[in-house]
Amino acid sequence: MSDQVLEIRTPFHEFEVGFNVIIDLITPSTRVLDLGCGSGTLLARLRDEKDVEGCGVELDQEKVIRCTERGIRVMTLDLDHGLEGFPDLSYEYVVLSRTLQQIINPERLVREMLRVGSKCIIAFPNFAQWKIALRYLLTGRTPIVKTFPHPWYNTPDIHRVTISDFRHFIHDIGGRIEKEIFIIKDTPGTNISWPNGRAEWGCFQISAQ
Amino acid sequence: MDQIGVVETQYLQFDGLRLESGGYLGPLIVAYETYGKFNDKKDNAVLVLHALSGDAHAAGLDENGRTGWWDGMIGPGKGIDTNKYFVICSNCLGGCKGTTGPTSINPDTGAAYGRSFPLITIGDMVNVQAMLVEKLGISKLHTVIGGSMGGMQALDWACRYSDKLESAVVIAATARLSPQGIAFNWVGRNAIRSDPVIPVNHSDSTTGDAKSGRGLAVARMIGHITYLSEETMQAKFGRKRTLRDMDGTTYSLGENEGMGGEFEIESYLQHKGSSFMERFDEDSYIIITKAIDYFDLVRQYGDMVSAFENITAKMFIISFTSDWLYPTSMSMAIVRALQAAKKHVSFVEVDLPYGHDSFLVPQGMPTLTRIVRGFLKGV
Repeated sequence: MSDQVLEIRTPFHEFEVGFNVIIDLITPSTRVLDLGCGSGTLLARLRDEKDVEGCGVELDQEKVIRCTERGIRVMTLDLDHGLEGFPDLSYEYVVLSRTLQQIINPERLVREMLRVGSKCIIAFPNFAQWKIALRYLLTGRTPIVKTFPHPWYNTPDIHRVTISDFRHFIHDIGGRIEKEIFIIKDTPGTNISWPNGRAEWGCFQISAQ
Repeated sequence: MDQIGVVETQYLQFDGLRLESGGYLGPLIVAYETYGKFNDKKDNAVLVLHALSGDAHAAGLDENGRTGWWDGMIGPGKGIDTNKYFVICSNCLGGCKGTTGPTSINPDTGAAYGRSFPLITIGDMVNVQAMLVEKLGISKLHTVIGGSMGGMQALDWACRYSDKLESAVVIAATARLSPQGIAFNWVGRNAIRSDPVIPVNHSDSTTGDAKSGRGLAVARMIGHITYLSEETMQAKFGRKRTLRDMDGTTYSLGENEGMGGEFEIESYLQHKGSSFMERFDEDSYIIITKAIDYFDLVRQYGDMVSAFENITAKMFIISFTSDWLYPTSMSMAIVRALQAAKKHVSFVEVDLPYGHDSFLVPQGMPTLTRIVRGFLKGV
């Protein structure tokens, strides 16, 4: 098998459905902290569509400046350093969209998210999706796919996390999964059979027990 | 694009000021400049606060054609757009550029205050700025913005006059000066003290006020080293030499005015020191650096969170990656305390290599312009 990229998915944030899934979860007129907020697209939509008071965290300078130019409140912070300084339960929602797999210590960050937010929304690519898994099995090599688009030796996606992994992880740290949404071929759904093998993306709403 | 053009410094007189130390200082003159126009509601005023060696001339040209110290940021279409905002900048209390300071005449003696000028604080400077703002008929400022000492003032403004500003931009500043900062200021003042003011010739009225000592120049050179980064010095000067005919047996201690030293960095510092001597007063330098050293919101309010308790303004904190005099950790301390006090705070650490001076150098202006313009628009 060649190294060509499997044509199965689009990055979560780049298509409307990724945003829409998160936006649908959020109650209007709440406070939302978006970790790894990029240029502030999600927060701008939440502000305009749901009257949300948002704050973003981003490390990339160009993206931070874009946020400022769009009137999005933003902080230059490294998520690998945790959320020190954010008071307990100071946000209704803390969002971590397609960044979980890039955090050095996801446990520490997710525990921090549960401390800071009443509810946390975490969306990540599912490495157990059957096409990826099959490719992994057949070639014996780490697949390069659109959800994990870089070769293993030079990638920000340092964790190859699966939906099943995530469920166990939340259980282990004493969190509670309130909602699960799975995205297959740009279509979100909640009642899906075998999501660990079929979903391209998982989006979870969790809270502290 | 229009330019601001020639700007004239204006002056306002006040009866006086009760200092935080308890003393009274009066009468009081405040030098200031304004750019742009008030809108109908007078709610578009931006107060710009200068750093240690700055003055009221922030933008445009003065009558000698000298460009303002933040002309890159203030003007039509610039970061602080004078087509939208009415911009005010005043010389700080204790300064030597028009506002009452050590070079002003003490009405009790008829002579300049000199070293008898009372100790002042950053809070005193802010109180004077507030008097000016009130006199100009502004009930609420859109923004106060400043870097370094100006950033300390912006922070103090937000704590002290929370109902008089919508937002504050605090650039490369700290809520309490570090011991390292105090140390550099101490060395600077020591240089001045070790080289006392000696009037060149008392009997000659043309040189009676001239000062022969170079202590202030040395103080400025030390300051300049702390405002730059190692990277900038490397890039700008490297180990380049200016006096190529040095034969390896002679050297310069900078005794020839204008000749400077052997290395380019030496000549640069020599030039900066000399030009500073011509434009600044050493007693002002002493009194202002003392005020910077004393600035400590933690000591003043018990802790930083308490200091920020009454803040209602939207706070914007900016630091620079290469600033080792007021490093990011100090801005972070402000940010964390503001968060703990549940205030509206934004924080940007700007990746610029120019050290503490990053907010002043032209190369940093495009980046800073986008950030400041964006924030002001969102207030």
